[in-house]
Amino acid sequence: MNKFSVSTAVAGALLALASQAAVAAPDWGKVPKRDINVFHAGVTPIEWATKKSDHSGSAGMRKGESCAGCHEEKGTLNFNFKRLADKELEPKGAPKTMMFPVSVQAAYDAANLYIRLTFKAPSGGADKGDKDNEVKATVLFADAKVPQADQYGCWQSCHADARTMPGADDKKTKYAKEGAYELMQWASKGNKVSDGSVTTERKMTGGTTGAKAEASKSGDTYTVTFTRKNPGEGKAVPFGIAVHADNSSGRFHHVSLGYKLGIGADGDVKAAKQ
Amino acid sequence: MADNKFTGFLAMIRRPSAKYSLLSLLVVGFFSGIFFWGGFNTGMEATNTLEFCIGCHEMRDNVYVEYKKTIHYTNRTGVRAVCSDCHVPKDWTHKMIRKIQASKEVWGKITGVIDTPEKFAAHRLQMAESEWARMKANDSRECRNCHSFDAMDVEKQKLRGAKMHKIGISEKKTCIDCHKGIAHTKPKGMKEDEDE
Repeated sequence: MNKFSVSTAVAGALLALASQAAVAAPDWGKVPKRDINVFHAGVTPIEWATKKSDHSGSAGMRKGESCAGCHEEKGTLNFNFKRLADKELEPKGAPKTMMFPVSVQAAYDAANLYIRLTFKAPSGGADKGDKDNEVKATVLFADAKVPQADQYGCWQSCHADARTMPGADDKKTKYAKEGAYELMQWASKGNKVSDGSVTTERKMTGGTTGAKAEASKSGDTYTVTFTRKNPGEGKAVPFGIAVHADNSSGRFHHVSLGYKLGIGADGDVKAAKQ
Repeated sequence: MADNKFTGFLAMIRRPSAKYSLLSLLVVGFFSGIFFWGGFNTGMEATNTLEFCIGCHEMRDNVYVEYKKTIHYTNRTGVRAVCSDCHVPKDWTHKMIRKIQASKEVWGKITGVIDTPEKFAAHRLQMAESEWARMKANDSRECRNCHSFDAMDVEKQKLRGAKMHKIGISEKKTCIDCHKGIAHTKPKGMKEDEDE
């Protein structure tokens, strides 16, 4: 094989890969958007949410009601934000913006699941624990062994004794008592992407999603597009999203309630087939 | 000597009057009755006012301050529920029983059981549990003086309230089962309900 034919073959292979990538990338203009509100949850871990004397809605939870089933209403969240910002539930100080929408789009093909998050990260946070990253965007996917993952979303990984909670060990990460979460995160410093998990502890590496991410900022709007392995067509996967805005860390994020991502199945967010 | 005077007094009030007509006695008795009964009720009602309740610094500096931040103190409709609306029964019999029970609190005031913020905090759970037990036992009667499931249109409520009230109605729950700490700070160390 001469030099020309080798270079032609390489060029052809690259072209083929490029065209495949071009085919795989969803046309986001055609993918429906679902606005999901993320909010500052203060100190309301799963222990708080399931304790009746703290949260009278726990009676509904025990009957199978989901967090979103009671709290998502008319395109917003009906929380008593005054209470969430009060020093009892937020002893350190609440951010100026307690809630903001994240536009969520999802698409899939045989190999991958694509998730695009578009949001304006607010300033005015009360915690600047992450000096390196102005903004981080995270998605958690619960496996079938996480109890009531359909109802509670990420809350099964949020505990009163995890770091940044009042009086908690600073080295104890979020964790799941049963089951596991896949974790993918984009961080603004160096466009770092983490592919991790939450089991008995949270790990930022060694995950199974094969996550990649691209991000851009236009004006004050961030667009973060994740690509991960397709969990399987026909599945509805419980998921939740979090945005750490304004250099916040740990629990000082804005989080979503639990939702389901339908991949060729019904869900709160339905991934568009490519 | 004293015994003789007392016996004489008894004999006098038991002896039919030769001086006053029966009509006079009835009229005087009738109006005296109104006067004393009215005076008694007025006096009792005076102990039902907000001003009376916060006359003690124990109430004024603790629970009153907390209550002033709640919807029962100020709201869009301008209806205010004062202390007695929630803590004293409306009907006479239960009100009298409650007032007699509450006389115990006078002793607490004299002995200074809750006369500092620290002492109040130490007793808050016990006092709250006692009041919750009273409300639970009477099916939240004082709440129901204003609120009732019959008059409640849950469809007009926020989703979170609507769903919980539907559960409450179907399971015959009473207001205080869920609505603890709505007018005052919840005490620390609350026990979880046994029926859950």
